[in-house]
Amino acid sequence: MQITFSLNHQTIEIDAPADITLLTFLREHLGVTGVKDGCDVGECGACAILLDGQLVNSCQLLAPQADGREIITIEGLRAADGGLTDLQRHFIDDGAVQCGFCTPGMILAGEALLAKNPTPDREEIADALAGNLCRCTGYIQIFDAIAATARERQAQTTTGERP
Amino acid sequence: MPRFTYIRPQTLDETLHLLAQPQKRSRLLAGGTDLMIRLRYAAPDFDRIIDISRLPELKIIAREEDSIHIGASVTYTEILESALLQDLTPFFVAAARQIAGPQIRNQGSIGGNIVNAAGGADMLPPLVCLDATVQLASKQGQRSLLLTDFIEQPHRTRIRPEEVLTRIIFPAPQPETNAVFIKLGRQRTKAISRITIAAMGRTDARGRISFMRFVPGAIAPRVQRFTAVEERLLGELPLPELFRQAGEEAVRVMNALTGGRWSSDYKIPALRTLTQRALAAIFSLQSI
Repeated sequence: MQITFSLNHQTIEIDAPADITLLTFLREHLGVTGVKDGCDVGECGACAILLDGQLVNSCQLLAPQADGREIITIEGLRAADGGLTDLQRHFIDDGAVQCGFCTPGMILAGEALLAKNPTPDREEIADALAGNLCRCTGYIQIFDAIAATARERQAQTTTGERP
Repeated sequence: MPRFTYIRPQTLDETLHLLAQPQKRSRLLAGGTDLMIRLRYAAPDFDRIIDISRLPELKIIAREEDSIHIGASVTYTEILESALLQDLTPFFVAAARQIAGPQIRNQGSIGGNIVNAAGGADMLPPLVCLDATVQLASKQGQRSLLLTDFIEQPHRTRIRPEEVLTRIIFPAPQPETNAVFIKLGRQRTKAISRITIAAMGRTDARGRISFMRFVPGAIAPRVQRFTAVEERLLGELPLPELFRQAGEEAVRVMNALTGGRWSSDYKIPALRTLTQRALAAIFSLQSI
């Protein structure tokens, strides 16, 4: 089926097979391998993407469901200077990345949270990450990285500085 | 050769027309959070997916006179962000908030939760509590069924192959009614329910219980009101001893419905305690 959608700020027109997942389509047809294939049954969140700004699991969508939507994967997150975002920088600095497999999904889940709630408490951060599993870090460092980013963005907003 | 094709109709009429085509085995896709997982384990038993996730007719949340209408493709996130539902049925919103994690709540639909009819489907107890009906449409026309009649047993409903579940409709609760939803899972979030309780109640001018609905979830083969528990409470003063007796009654009803099970050692004390907790929450909120 011929579909048109926006992938990481670029419009794509392509023939998508009807009977494969969006996860397979992104990874194997479009080479977007930052989307990870973990459990394939909607449990682990490694394949999470932002679909029209909402966090969803790409293993639970069919490829043609991308039609007309805007998709952001980890490849689409970038600071204004083209480098790492503040959240990505905090993941590194706070030890929130070990094997790294869950990291793309975690960072997208963090961005989805901060877009809706710029001042989350610990509980709200935990709830926002409930659909993303990490087998290495024990989550504490991931919560820390998101909390630190939220604090920093708040401080920049109040001082009028651009993030 | 693809195993199946995909089509996304723009209107409900077009959907009903597609479903009425006898030469195609069609399967409706709304949230896909159950369907996509089944596809991973079993070959598709259909030729064509009909995507109804964006049908405008199925995305409404509205009050029409004294009834609340929720479109079948409305997601859990849309339910819990609805100001109307937060205001009128906070216990129903609480049930949506406790489903799975953010991704599933952003994708999964209330219609899917009902039609999939899992034994632990969390939207069912509050909807049964609210006396919900489901509206079904086909090329032949529309029909409405009580939700309790629509679901026959876990994973089996009375929907026909050519039908779409379009809306869930329930009367707006009276303002002085209090309601709770309590969920017990194996972990705090992302858990499949072991036991839930949805309950609504209010007292009259003399402080006696004058209205009561009590619906446990995930413990009986069909979600239903425990009317014996409701009758035990009606006309009485809402006091801890009464709540204790109601808990015993709830256990008696559960045992009569299910017999002894491997999980009974866990579920009996859990149901007893949750019943008391639910009733205490409902009637302490009430200003007497």
